Amino acid sequence: MSAPGRELQFTRVFDAPRQLVFACMIDPDHLTHFWGPAGTSAPRQHITVDARPGGVFATVMVNDRDGSRYPTHAVYDEVRPPELLSWTESDSGMQVTTQFVALGPDRTEVRIHQRYVPEAFLTSEAQAGFLTSLDRLAAHLGRVEPRAVESEPDQPPSE
Amino acid sequence: MPTLAEEHLDAAFAALADPTRRAIVGRLARGDATVSELAAPFAMSLPGISKHLKVLERSGLISRRRAAQFRPCHLEVDALDQTLDWITTHRRIWDERFDKLDAHLSAVQSGRRGGKDAAR
Repeated sequence: MSAPGRELQFTRVFDAPRQLVFACMIDPDHLTHFWGPAGTSAPRQHITVDARPGGVFATVMVNDRDGSRYPTHAVYDEVRPPELLSWTESDSGMQVTTQFVALGPDRTEVRIHQRYVPEAFLTSEAQAGFLTSLDRLAAHLGRVEPRAVESEPDQPPSE
Repeated sequence: MPTLAEEHLDAAFAALADPTRRAIVGRLARGDATVSELAAPFAMSLPGISKHLKVLERSGLISRRRAAQFRPCHLEVDALDQTLDWITTHRRIWDERFDKLDAHLSAVQSGRRGGKDAAR
């Protein structure tokens, strides 16, 4: 286990192809239909999606009753269509990873893993540093050849 | 910087990550208890239990009266409620969001089946 902290896992199965479910999570035209929880809406004009590592994911949820606005701002850490999305909320340091698992051609399991990223990543500067290091890591990984699987030594001769 | 409330929440989650400590919290939900009372159901030494109690105490989830001879442990219900609130709030948000997504997916797909240009 990683360092203990606030974690939450949430799973739901949808009767829809994985490609479509994934598209719903990164397309503002889809997001506007469901992103706001009950009693709120997420107006299309306030949704920003730049689905690539370092890109912004921002929304405003508006309370249907009194018009209160809850803006959220996050930065994508990882975008792997159609199987994985991960972002970190800039204010709270919450990292949300969404996995899309195809259970069949028209059946998709969505797994949310919400994890609080402790203090070091809370300030925007620290977060920028974090993202830069992720970018560097990504660039680095792009340059590195897949490591050859070390072969198990043969059975030692019995003596 | 994390706020004090955030730090408490982290400490509470860390404390509750352990099954023995969750069991202790469960026992204290039924009423105050001394260390030896708490140790009884576990195959654990008193110092072992004391270590868990210290973690719980630091997290603010339990308190112990300094003066009393047997220093019974007391569950801080408000602190536990705040911790559970965090979980239920976030669960509820995803639950409600996914209810809407479910309806949206049905609408999109029936649109697609109904007519090629109807989707979206």
